[in-house]
Amino acid sequence: MIELLLVIPVITAALCYLMNRRRAMEIVSTIGAAVLFVGVLLFVAKVLEDGPIYEGALFMDSLSAYVLLIVAFMAFIGAVYSVGYMGHEYQEKQFGLGRLRYYYTFFHIFIFTMMLVCVSNSLGIMWIAIESTTLASAFLVGFYNKDTSLEAAWKYIIICSVGITLALLGIILAYASSVSVVGESSNALDWTTLRSIADSLDKDLLRIAFVLVLVGYGTKVGLVPMHTWLPDAHSQAPTPISALLSGVLLNCAMYGILRFHIISTEALGPGFSGSLLLLFGVISMVVAAAFIIIARDVKRLLAYSSIEHMGIIAIGFGLGGPFGVYGALLHMLNHAMAKSLLFFGAGNVLLKLKTKIMEEVRGLGQHMAATAALLFIGMLALAGSPPFGLFISELSILYAAVTQGQVVVGALYLLVLVVIFAALLWHIGGMVFGTPSERVQPGEVSRLNIWVMIVLATALLVLGLVIPGPLASLLDAAASLFGGMT
Amino acid sequence: MINGLAALVLLGAFAAVSCSRMPALVRTFAFQSIALGALAACVAYFTDSPQIYVVAVLTIGLKGFVIPRMFSQIMNRIKVEKEVDPLLSIPSSLLVSGGLAVLAYYITEPLITHGEPITRNALALSLAVVLIGFFIMISRRKAITQVVGLLIMENGLFMAAISLTYGMPLIVELGIFFDVLVAVLIMGVFAFRINNTFDSLDTSFMRRLRD
Repeated sequence: MIELLLVIPVITAALCYLMNRRRAMEIVSTIGAAVLFVGVLLFVAKVLEDGPIYEGALFMDSLSAYVLLIVAFMAFIGAVYSVGYMGHEYQEKQFGLGRLRYYYTFFHIFIFTMMLVCVSNSLGIMWIAIESTTLASAFLVGFYNKDTSLEAAWKYIIICSVGITLALLGIILAYASSVSVVGESSNALDWTTLRSIADSLDKDLLRIAFVLVLVGYGTKVGLVPMHTWLPDAHSQAPTPISALLSGVLLNCAMYGILRFHIISTEALGPGFSGSLLLLFGVISMVVAAAFIIIARDVKRLLAYSSIEHMGIIAIGFGLGGPFGVYGALLHMLNHAMAKSLLFFGAGNVLLKLKTKIMEEVRGLGQHMAATAALLFIGMLALAGSPPFGLFISELSILYAAVTQGQVVVGALYLLVLVVIFAALLWHIGGMVFGTPSERVQPGEVSRLNIWVMIVLATALLVLGLVIPGPLASLLDAAASLFGGMT
Repeated sequence: MINGLAALVLLGAFAAVSCSRMPALVRTFAFQSIALGALAACVAYFTDSPQIYVVAVLTIGLKGFVIPRMFSQIMNRIKVEKEVDPLLSIPSSLLVSGGLAVLAYYITEPLITHGEPITRNALALSLAVVLIGFFIMISRRKAITQVVGLLIMENGLFMAAISLTYGMPLIVELGIFFDVLVAVLIMGVFAFRINNTFDSLDTSFMRRLRD
């Protein structure tokens, strides 16, 4: 049955490819994404009720269901925003109908590859899916065909392919250690098999395997120092794609690491993989903070902020324990929504003022009031201020650090969060307030874009006040997969 | 026999480092892939596993013939100058590669002790190939040489997979082959576009994006 879910984006992509009118493409793409979202909701409900679903190479447990939910939700939001954003650029004749068709087709192929990451049981197939996400999205990063977007796309595809090649070596080593226990069976590479025999796996091989996978998939997560492709790709891609890269793709790569983290925790105890995640998380946060302070381009600012938030998530999983894992899981969803909200706001500004340089944007509050307000709300949410969802998840991770006696990590974490809060307030505040440098016609570019952003802002607010029952039980179930939950 | 072929694959990597012209580099890569395919065929023969034969045929067919053909077509179409333009001179590159090979032996020493006897050396050799492939990627500036470096890394990985575990499950192997082929195709498309935009395949022109 999981195949049915996977088929939806493929069909949508094929239909988009066959359409030759703009409206038709937009309708097909939006309906496809909506159907996908509903389908994922049904499957998530089934997983919550009956436990994991196993179907050969595919499977879905609570963790995959949760990440899949993020993918499908953000895909739907991104598809709706694309209608307003890409539609506007198309009307301005920035590209022709053929390019628009190409955009929607690759958009849904990209969604398909990310869903495949979440539902593959075999770690080998998961690797193939993660590599395919790079291949599918490279075309979207290079969409505008300018010299800068080509540079970004080339760096993206080369750096991520090298990283992921290292991850493949890790998977081969894990397979070698599994084969020596269960013999040459076709499911020796399945995550469920590896987990059930974790105790008897070769410890040395598994250690090297985890390091290789962490470095390899960590390249795609954007952990420092393997992050160099990320700001380029995020700033050059069309805005809806930037939001998807930040909000979903990074989470999918993190999901790949988590699967190995769980196995390695079972086999080697929580110390080894946890402390590596912690180390990379702290480095990523600190380095990202420095670049956030000096950023000039708003999309690069947001890209570095993604590196920071992936660092926070890595710290949460690295610390482990109920608060760390729960906080990190919740943060994956919160960050996806807050970052998309800000990218969409920056996208509206880009459509109207044709600039990404923050110094050139002043006094948005006067001529794009709705975008300005939502951008500011998004900034507050992203910086982790109450009453938004990110406050809860960041607090939960901080609590985990303090209760586990990781005082240095806790202090550093708090310090970086404060610095980034100030930097974001300065950068985004500067865009929203002040006086416009020249006379700009007041008004928004697209009403649809504003509605999408309102939905995201509301969801962030709701998650900050109360976590709905089904989501809470899904989070609990997903967190219980991680070891050391006492 | 297997050790000999594995050594031949490593030799291919060294030869690739020493190439100063792109057609030679692509031919060396093809040669290395054929050696790898022969290695896979040997392992298949000794362990009597038909699925590794499939891998062997695919390696020789795809990496030995199809992909090199694609490269030479791309190079003919864009008529780019054929020099490799190493950032590091070829003799010192060879020296570095030698160092990497020693390093690979050093790293894998604790692991080799409990490997299968017939393929004990192959892990160290394949790690050396991976490292040298990586070195080619970072020390050569042309877009196509970077792709060849990536493919050489991938060859090293396949050698590790075949020698360490006698091959991954077939579906995974097929998927990886498919991914590699698509990746090379896409990189080829981008190489075209880079050549159109920058009038060169030299990736060091790409310095626009920075903070």
